[in-house]
Order: sequence, then structure tokens, then C-alpha cells
Amino acid sequence: MDKNNLNSLHKSFKVIRDRKIKLLEEEADRINDLKEHVKEIRKYSIDNLEELIQKAMNNFQENGMEVIFAEDSQKALDHIYQIIKDEEIVSKSKSNTINEIGLSPFLESKGIELVETDLGDRIIQIDPDTSGPSHPIGPAAHLDMNQIAEIASNKFKREVKAEPEEILDIIKNDVLKRLEKCNIGITGANSVAAEDGALLMVHNEGNITLVSMKDIHIVVTGIDKLVRTIEDAVSVVKLETIFATGKTIPAYMNVISSPSKTADIEQILLKDMYGAKRVILILLDNGRRKALQEYDECLLCIGCGSCIVSCPVYNVTGYEFGYRGYLGGRGITFSNFIKDNETCFNSGLFKCTECGLCTSECPVNIKTNKMIERLRNESVEKGAFPEKHHETAERIKKKGSPFED
Amino acid sequence: MMYFRGCVAREKLDKISKSTEEILKHAGIDYKIIEDESCCGSFLLRTGFLQDAEEVMQKTLDKIKDEKILTSCAGCYRTFKKDYREIMGVELDVIHTSQFFNELIEDGKIELEPLSEKVTYHDPCHLGRHMEEYDAPREILNKTTELVEMERNRENARCCGAGAGVKSAYPEITEEIAKMRVKDAGDAEIIVTTCPFCILNLSSINSTKIMDISEIILKALKK
Repeated sequence: MDKNNLNSLHKSFKVIRDRKIKLLEEEADRINDLKEHVKEIRKYSIDNLEELIQKAMNNFQENGMEVIFAEDSQKALDHIYQIIKDEEIVSKSKSNTINEIGLSPFLESKGIELVETDLGDRIIQIDPDTSGPSHPIGPAAHLDMNQIAEIASNKFKREVKAEPEEILDIIKNDVLKRLEKCNIGITGANSVAAEDGALLMVHNEGNITLVSMKDIHIVVTGIDKLVRTIEDAVSVVKLETIFATGKTIPAYMNVISSPSKTADIEQILLKDMYGAKRVILILLDNGRRKALQEYDECLLCIGCGSCIVSCPVYNVTGYEFGYRGYLGGRGITFSNFIKDNETCFNSGLFKCTECGLCTSECPVNIKTNKMIERLRNESVEKGAFPEKHHETAERIKKKGSPFED
Repeated sequence: MMYFRGCVAREKLDKISKSTEEILKHAGIDYKIIEDESCCGSFLLRTGFLQDAEEVMQKTLDKIKDEKILTSCAGCYRTFKKDYREIMGVELDVIHTSQFFNELIEDGKIELEPLSEKVTYHDPCHLGRHMEEYDAPREILNKTTELVEMERNRENARCCGAGAGVKSAYPEITEEIAKMRVKDAGDAEIIVTTCPFCILNLSSINSTKIMDISEIILKALKK
């Protein structure tokens, strides 16, 4: 990431960090209780994952949803393609899981237009030069207003002033126009209640509501998002919101447990009222079960991004220190399972200073540096390490010192 | 007592080991140094060379296992105290210079005079977050000067950027982080810390003066 982008990133991060620190001071007891509660919820989920998967499969179906279990990214993409192959355009909301499976390049290769509806995601999508996201909640945190205005000017072939309202209006109106043409909306879910068969989604813009009201709503979510009940799910996303944004509550929390329905005429169940006719849940494994075996701690993550806001390495490298929206050391650890060792190495396995700050900043205190250290052990055993480390290791073995001369 | 200097204080920044020895002598502490000191294994452990680390740790363990060990290095301290227990199954009797000097002050074996400089303290990751020793260095500094805290301190301290092999493999990342950390110190005249690796790294920024806890003690020592 270049200097300009890093400067913008630092400014955004400072706002988030200051707000979070203030909130954590003001509401210390309440937030600490919530942290402990969510740790227990997440721990239970990981320890009982297979049971929760089974419950989710059954309960979502019972509630009238279609449930598909996808072992890997390709299977998830194939399922999605079967549903949307006749469409020219589909809409989506912000989701790391959808980034993970590579839906955007896949649809491009199939000639289907994908409309990002989250403003930050949309800015990144129409920007030919940068990738991203740079923060799970603020995907365009690395862009300043002038850059965004320029991106919009290029996209809409007219001068868009570097004023936030003007940028918002022009992008919003364009997205709304495209949304009218969409029959299908694709979203992720922030937390998934297996026992209730209910999905919880969090947003500030209202875009998830629009996307989820399309005729067909496809939800792609990792099995690591499962918790037992909707109450648990609310606790998880509340903590996520606090640590992601420094605010106690997002503008919207949508709970979806069924396609649109009514029983207002003699209690006869009728479908197809205002919302989606079909809701299709794709539960994604894609390496998560593998992670569960020895690195289950990395599945505790609730996706707030608090770790990267303070991470010293992330603050000087940006999203290059991570993989497809899974950012920082925990994201790199995760990439080892959802992709492979080589991806993990290339995402920055050896760039982490193992300082442990992310653990202090993490609401569920994931010990990322321990996982990084173990993954390095495995990587070195396979022969993948920075050459400089090998040279230093040889000197230490030979003369008991890491230094030359 | 054995004074285990650690590789940086031994080979790169001997001002740290010299100040430490001077304080030890001044306080009348009976100590020894071993000439073939070798490596604690920290670098190897952090960079994934676990097998090599175990060999090196075994060799070093043979030299130090029956001693009370004093070390200048936060990395050596963490490794001896935590990793030797977890990996080698031994409980070593080890103390960091900041802890030992703080005891010497409390016991009246050394006395500090006031310093006029504005001093801040950088928590090394290996002493702070990894071992939760935040207080000993601060207690020392508060006895000789008015310690001005950086905004990011104690468990929230920003890493200097050098740890876990990043400085050797990705020096450009380390340099940028070190610049941020020095900037965190604001208008402090001296950044005191307790890890020779942090000192080596932060000094390369050539901005604020960086000192080991032993150096500032020596500066303030009532002779």
C-alpha cells in the first residue's frame, strides 16, 4: 500500500480507535461482561461445531429455507451459479466469506454483473487501481476523499467534487438504478443461530435490507459463524460492533429465518408476500474443519477488525498483510486453512513481529502470535522460510550469535 | 549470580553490559559472566526453527541451569522463564535487570539522584505483554525522574518493529514501525527501555535518545 493510502488508513483508524477507547472507558463493566459472555458463546460453538452444523441444517430447512453445505469455495460457486446463471446482474452486500470464495472474479468470467451495495465496497469495486478491503467495516479506509472523487469522476465520466454528499449521492443513485434490475441478492451473515434457524446481519446503510428483499436471497456464511441461539447471535454482533466501530449498536440488525410469508387469512400459510420468495443458505466449510483440529482458536474470531487497527505491521503495510479481507496475523493464520501453506506464507506469515498487541486488542483475546509461531514451525519443516532467517539460524548454531563478523 | 548479557548487549551495544556491571559492582553484588555465553534460542523459536532452537537451548541450559540468572534482555528473559519451562521442562531462576535493580533500590543498596530530563518508557513486547512486567522499570524511573507515559503504553504499547525476525527479513517494515514508535514518544528527551533489541532498532531512527534502564540508573546513581 502506498504512503497516501497508508496516511488515509491511519486517519480512519485513529477515529475508530479513539471512539473505541472512549466507549471502553465509559462502559467498562458492561463491555467486559459482554466480552466474557461472548467468549463462552464462541468457545461453545467451536467445541460443538458438528452438532451445531446438524442443527442448523435441520432447523433452517424446517423454517422454509433451502440449505446447502459447501465443502469448498468451488462447490459454493457452483451452487450459486446454478441459481443465478440466467441473470444478467445480481446484487450483494459486504461479506468476507463472499470475498473468500472469489465470487466477484467468478461472476466476471461468466459475464454476470455484480453490484456491490455497501458504499465502501462499491468504491473499491469501481476503482481500477486499488484492491482492498482495508478494514472489515470500512473497506475503503485507505482512500481519501480526493481519491474517491477521482474514482467516481472516472466511473461516471463527469466531474464529481471532493464533497462527501456529492460522492454519496452519485454512487447511491447509480447502485439503486442497478438494484432495480436485480432479481437476486447475495449477502453474508454476521452470526448464525443454529437452534433457532435464524441469520443475523448487521449494517448501517440499509443495503442488506434492499438486497435481502430480492426474489431470491442467497446467504453465504462460514460454519464458524454458528452459535446456538439468536440471543447469542445478538451478543456476538453487539460486541463486534463495539470493537469494529466504537459504537454500541449498528443502525440495522436484520434477523432472517424464513422466506417472506403470512398467515393472516384464516391462519393459512401463504408465501411470497413482500420479501424474498426463496432464501438459500450456503454453509461453507472450506478448510474450517481442518482449522478446528489444531488451530481452533482462529475460529473464535468475530470479525471486528480491532486487531489490525493497532497492529504495527498492518499500519505500515496495509492489506498486503492479510488474505482477501482476512487481515493481519489472524487472517494470515486463517488463510493457511481456507487456502494453503503457500498463500499463508505469501500473505505475511513471517512479517508478524509476534508482539501480541492484537491479543490485547481482541475482544475474545485470540492468541495469534502463538498460532503464527506454530505455523512457522510447520513452514520451516516444509522448507519455506525467509533466506535471511536461515542465514541467521546457521550463525546461531555455529557460533552462538545471530550477528555477522 | 550469573549475568547473562544476551547477544546484543554482548556484541553490539556493550554500553548496556558495561553500565549493568558497573551498577552490580557499585552495589557489591557478587556476579560472574561466562565468556562462551551463546544464545538463549529466542530468535530460532520465533522464526520457526524449532529443532535448531532445542539444540541451542540444550547447550545453553547446560551452562546456566544451576545459576541464578540476571539478564539485560527482555527476549532472553521471556525465553528462559517461559520457553525453557514449556519446551525443556525446566524452571530457571531468572530475573531481568529492571527487576533486580528495582530490588537493589528498594533494599537501599543503590540510591538514585534526581534527573532533569523528560523521560518516557517503551515497554518491550517480551517483557511487557509476554511476561506482564510493566511496573519494575516504571518504579525505577519514578524514583529519579518524572516519567511521562506515551499514549500507547503497558499492554497497549506499540511494538518497536524488530521482533520475531522481521528486522532481518523485512527491514523496511521494521524501520517504518520504529519511526512510529519514536513518534509516540512526543517531546520526551529520552526513551528508556529494557530490551537491547528495541534499543538497537529504535536508535537507528536517529531521533530521540534511547537508553537502557541500566544506563539511566548509572546516570542517576549516587556515587
